[in-house]
Amino acid sequence: MIQKKICLIGAFSVGKTSLIRQFVESIFTEKYLTTVGVKIDKKVLELEEGPIKLMIWDLAGEDDYTEIRLPYLRGASGFIYVADGTRAETLTKIVDIQEHIDADFGRLPFVLAINKHDLIGEWEVKQSHIDHLHCKSWSIHKTSALTGESVDQLFTDLAQQMVKP
Amino acid sequence: MQSISETLLYEISAVLLECQPDDNLVRVTPETEWFEYLFSASSLMDKYHIDKHLPFLSNFLIDAKEHWKQGKEGCINSGPWVEMYQGQELALEALALNFSRKHFILIKNLGETYLELSNTLQIARDNLLTAEKLEKELIKRNAMLKHREEQIALRLLAAADYRDEETGAHIQRIGLYSKAIATALNLNQDILENIQIAASMHDIGKIAIPDHILLKPGSFEPDELKQMRTHAELGAKMLKGTDIPLLNMGYSIAMNHHEKWDGTGYPNNLKGEQIPIEARIVAIVDVYDAMLSARPYKKPFSEDFVLQHMTENRGLHFDPNVFDTFLSILPEIRRIRSEVQ
Repeated sequence: MIQKKICLIGAFSVGKTSLIRQFVESIFTEKYLTTVGVKIDKKVLELEEGPIKLMIWDLAGEDDYTEIRLPYLRGASGFIYVADGTRAETLTKIVDIQEHIDADFGRLPFVLAINKHDLIGEWEVKQSHIDHLHCKSWSIHKTSALTGESVDQLFTDLAQQMVKP
Repeated sequence: MQSISETLLYEISAVLLECQPDDNLVRVTPETEWFEYLFSASSLMDKYHIDKHLPFLSNFLIDAKEHWKQGKEGCINSGPWVEMYQGQELALEALALNFSRKHFILIKNLGETYLELSNTLQIARDNLLTAEKLEKELIKRNAMLKHREEQIALRLLAAADYRDEETGAHIQRIGLYSKAIATALNLNQDILENIQIAASMHDIGKIAIPDHILLKPGSFEPDELKQMRTHAELGAKMLKGTDIPLLNMGYSIAMNHHEKWDGTGYPNNLKGEQIPIEARIVAIVDVYDAMLSARPYKKPFSEDFVLQHMTENRGLHFDPNVFDTFLSILPEIRRIRSEVQ
């Protein structure tokens, strides 16, 4: 079976761990528990091309590229960048981090999750910013780890990008 | 019999492994329960081959080998990682070290240390989130207050508008020109936030000038001119004495916008940088816009004539630096004039 390492990257409290829990276990916990270090989950996805085993690296939230331990990203086949729709600066920061990772690791498949879509009334992220990233061919998903909205699609999208010949 | 160091490592829930030339690891201290559980899938007798069963450690071994190869003293650490053990999260950390030309990996269960670290970080991040929320609320409330202040100022301006021949468009343009120049001059944020509305209040004192003078179509007699000139101080008095930054700037502009760089202006014959910067800006744009505008008693002058006249007054009436900046953004000034009629 194909096995791929993917990493979730984003500022603290954007919902990286919650997205993984929703994807892997279909569970959401309201209480925010900060991640320290790294936790690796696994899940097999059935794609048209066949099954793929995702090794999902949940990295502690960092606001700045310089704070990310780069060895953790080694061997990754794709990235899920996560921003919090209710905190506009988390999107600005992740765009900056993506540029650095692209420069250092080469262009690898990635998707962007703008999380907390269940709180759409409190969103600070502007549609114009999202449109701008769309224009740069970013694959963007408005997700909710709470309701599960677009969570499977997020991981499936990345998996499909990674197995594409 | 176990050595003291072996017992000690066991007691602190750590296991020491030695890396062999064939890349296998050999355990050199007693195994703990968690170690046995996690490493059983990677073991053959007492040798361990770290592979896909333990992807984090496998990844760290690449850094460890680099460290060993360089033969550096001291150790490098992997940072914490979490494995599942008996349905619970188990936080571990690995260290790679050189000792007596041998290569070792020490894996330790972080236990309580990890919980303490998590709690400390949790509190710090909760505080950061709270501070972030409070800051956003403060910005929102300040924006609301600012909006209210501006609304009050605009109503005041609207009242003055009923009495003056100067149109609302002129007042609006003065504000926009002033903000454009202040921005080009890279003035501080307080000025940038307030100058647009404050500049619009430059002639607010005319509300107190009698109609027969204010609306006189021809030129003024000396007495009338003297009375007309009181509008600067009258406007300043109207806006004085609040702790509202917008009105304070309005006061400064109303009082000083007829001062001249060479000290021949009114009401206080201020000279050079004694004149507040915001008033030096308004002095320029007020003359520019007034000369280009039609009045009951005059036709508009051509822009060429106006700019020539103003250039002759550079360093006399106008602050030369501000005037040069005004000229440098003339296309923007013209755009404002064409859009706000």
